[in-house]
Amino acid sequence: MATTTLSPTAKGYRRSWVIEWLTTVDHKKIGILYIVNAFLFFFAAGILALVVRSELAIPGLQFLDERTYNQAFTMHGTIMIFLFVVPVLSGFANYIVPLQLGAPDMAFPRINALSFWFLPAGGLLIFSGYLFGGAAAEGWTLYAPLSNGTYATGVGTDLWLIGLLLVGTASILGAVNFIATIFKMRAPGMTLFRMPILVWTVLVTATLILLATPVLAAGMIALFIDRNYGGSFFDPNAGGNPVLWQHLFWFFGHPEVYIVILPAMGVVSEILPVFTRRPLFGYRAFVYATIAIGLLSFSVWAHHMFTTGQVFLPFFSFMTALIAIPTGVKMFNWLATLWRGSITFATPMLFALGFLSMFLIGGISGVMLSAPPVDFHLQDTYFVVAHLHYVFFGGSVFGVFAATYYWFPKMTGRRLNERLGKVHFWLHFIGFNLAFFPQHILGIQGMPRRVSDYSPDAGWTILNLVSTAGAFMIAVSILPFLVNLVATFINGEQVGDDPWEGNTLEWATSSPPPPYNFDKLPPIRSERPVFDLRHRHDAEHLAADLTVPEGGHS
Amino acid sequence: MLPLIALTAACGMVPPEPHTDQAKEIFWLYNVILVMGGIVFVAVEGFIVYSIFRYRRRDDRLPTQVHGNSLVELIWTAIPTVIVLILFVLSTVTLNSISARSDHPGVTIDVEGKQWSWVFHYLDADADPTNDVMVSGGALDPPVMALPVGEPVLLRLRSNDVIHSFFVPAFLVKTDVVPTGDRPPNELEFTVSEAGTYSGQCAEFCGDLHARMTFSVQAMPRTDFDAWLAVMRPTQTPAPSLPEGSAVLKVSADNSTFDTHELTAPAEEAFGIEFTNDEAVAHNVAIYQRGEPIFNGAYFTGPGTTIYVIDALPAGDYTFICDVHPVPDMTGTLTVR
Repeated sequence: MATTTLSPTAKGYRRSWVIEWLTTVDHKKIGILYIVNAFLFFFAAGILALVVRSELAIPGLQFLDERTYNQAFTMHGTIMIFLFVVPVLSGFANYIVPLQLGAPDMAFPRINALSFWFLPAGGLLIFSGYLFGGAAAEGWTLYAPLSNGTYATGVGTDLWLIGLLLVGTASILGAVNFIATIFKMRAPGMTLFRMPILVWTVLVTATLILLATPVLAAGMIALFIDRNYGGSFFDPNAGGNPVLWQHLFWFFGHPEVYIVILPAMGVVSEILPVFTRRPLFGYRAFVYATIAIGLLSFSVWAHHMFTTGQVFLPFFSFMTALIAIPTGVKMFNWLATLWRGSITFATPMLFALGFLSMFLIGGISGVMLSAPPVDFHLQDTYFVVAHLHYVFFGGSVFGVFAATYYWFPKMTGRRLNERLGKVHFWLHFIGFNLAFFPQHILGIQGMPRRVSDYSPDAGWTILNLVSTAGAFMIAVSILPFLVNLVATFINGEQVGDDPWEGNTLEWATSSPPPPYNFDKLPPIRSERPVFDLRHRHDAEHLAADLTVPEGGHS
Repeated sequence: MLPLIALTAACGMVPPEPHTDQAKEIFWLYNVILVMGGIVFVAVEGFIVYSIFRYRRRDDRLPTQVHGNSLVELIWTAIPTVIVLILFVLSTVTLNSISARSDHPGVTIDVEGKQWSWVFHYLDADADPTNDVMVSGGALDPPVMALPVGEPVLLRLRSNDVIHSFFVPAFLVKTDVVPTGDRPPNELEFTVSEAGTYSGQCAEFCGDLHARMTFSVQAMPRTDFDAWLAVMRPTQTPAPSLPEGSAVLKVSADNSTFDTHELTAPAEEAFGIEFTNDEAVAHNVAIYQRGEPIFNGAYFTGPGTTIYVIDALPAGDYTFICDVHPVPDMTGTLTVR
């Protein structure tokens, strides 16, 4: 690490803060750029969600025509997944992973900046369809042949493809950077099995991105050729196969689910030990489970395609069911971490516990969908919409808010107001369940997804109304969050370097950390170096008092 | 209040009453999995809530630092393994059972899904398709698929445009209607077990009017079904064509607006409406009198032109309208005199 010869607190030459933020290659500033950018897209896509839910509140078309509705849910899904959940988790990883490794920065700081700046560009391209005759309206999955030039005539679909190619390129660059950083930039003593769980989940996530995203990119280029240059990859009347698009999309798309959930699992696995004051139970098993999920994720893509008639059902059903095993192991590890802990309920912990209980529901509904006969009924209904929101929103987004409350003091030196945080959590938690639990029932009763309207005789009105009310409640819950961010940033409680009594290296430096992160590092002898430092006297006592050490971990 | 909500939710989690032999098996499998899922849910959430209350921080003592326990971890790896293996065996057995095909289905229907309507083509023994029973209909007059009860029904699911999906919630099944070109289409076989009317609709997003692509299934005893077929069998009347020299009115639509809101047609003789749809949104022209439909033109996505043939009308005032967008901009007065 050549950079350690430079004083970590050395001042660069002075320039305006605008230029500084536009040209920065500091992983912490880039991380914050990622997070802020992602939240802006989150608000935009959230407004689209409210548009969709408003239209569905009661039968009949009240606000939109069908095309506008279809654009709204397409953009909502696309933006939420590709420009909010994935980048916001990348943002936290960008900020935290080098700190947790004891590294001065990412391995390739300039590539890091490049992969960030592709994101707003790609996102704006995707959105710009609205200015050129209408955004893409084929669903975030963009199934062929609905998305080919015959049925999707607007340029919005082309802009969607180009924008998403940029976003995908950014992901791939970011993934290379994370893998290089994790393998090459660890501080002395930071062996692989002493890395914090978040770093492990980011490592597996980056590997998934590296292997899966190019497949989607190839598919999107093929679709672009079909649309603009007379190709026929997906045209059945010219020897192509529309279901091929689904294979390519989901070969990426299912690993994508784990790309989105694994870092959130990592966040929760960082927060639970801190607020229970116990180590994560079964650290190694958790790491192996993470790797197992990563491997399995490449053999389950066709469970999104059980009703296409072009899939060997028993294989994909079996592989999908297998994923429940490592996921179950993780759940048990989290539960055992709570068991006999000393639990406090600061806002990050509330969101982490919310993650556990909501992701559980998404996991169970996922296992239900893995049985092909059950999937024949539930596929493409609101049950699937409910399932994916319990995973993406109840899982990942709860993880994102947990991360925001947990690391805000590291980024600013100030702790977000706990009272507003709790108001945010409870409104969010109740609103989320009101919005999405009824969608399970709607789906089971037969309401298809992606419909702009439904019959007043179908008996779906009350549940849709409840779901819409829940969606607005989630929107309201964001207000105390925003107020909290602004008020804390301006005049929040200053809480020093380590307000939560953290375990990992990011808490061993100042808040916010200096440009190259560390003046000195504590010795790294376990996955909790800062805990070891804080409790070294206790540890000596324990070693002296106990003849039989607890557990087998060294 | 809370138990009431929980009870309602639990009831809602059970699928609609199944009405085919296959659906009854799926219903059984679903409920077994639901109960297993319910047990896991209650156990885990119960554990979380218990821990939250039991192990809240009471003092500054550090809890015992337990890093793991191989035996416990082995056991709880085994638990989900056993659960998913049981589930996989059950679901595969059910899958094989419901996928079984009969050699001689009682009725075979070519189901064509298209943007945004269905055509049900009942295939019969003679090779001549001109006298086959065809049922079609779209958003405003959804088609009805009549079926005999107690006999295997084979559907061959065809599409020439985009992917649709044939879904009847009471049958607990859907199968995608995929444009396959020269390759064989998807098939779906089931045996309806109870007479009745069951609603269905397209379940794969297929464009603008996806939500309107509905149909219904009417299951009836064999004798009734035969009578229905006899009524529906086409008599040899040619499609209406416009007599020479008839009046042709012109209407066009763009930006969801008709270019004219006043039309005049001759009374007591057939006339045509040449409808030009200038945009990639589905429109049609339909004629109503005092809310009663007189004529509903097939709707289509532009740009394109079609000629609707309208039978002779008595003199009077009529309304013409786009069924897809019944708004003032797409409404006009048709004077017949």
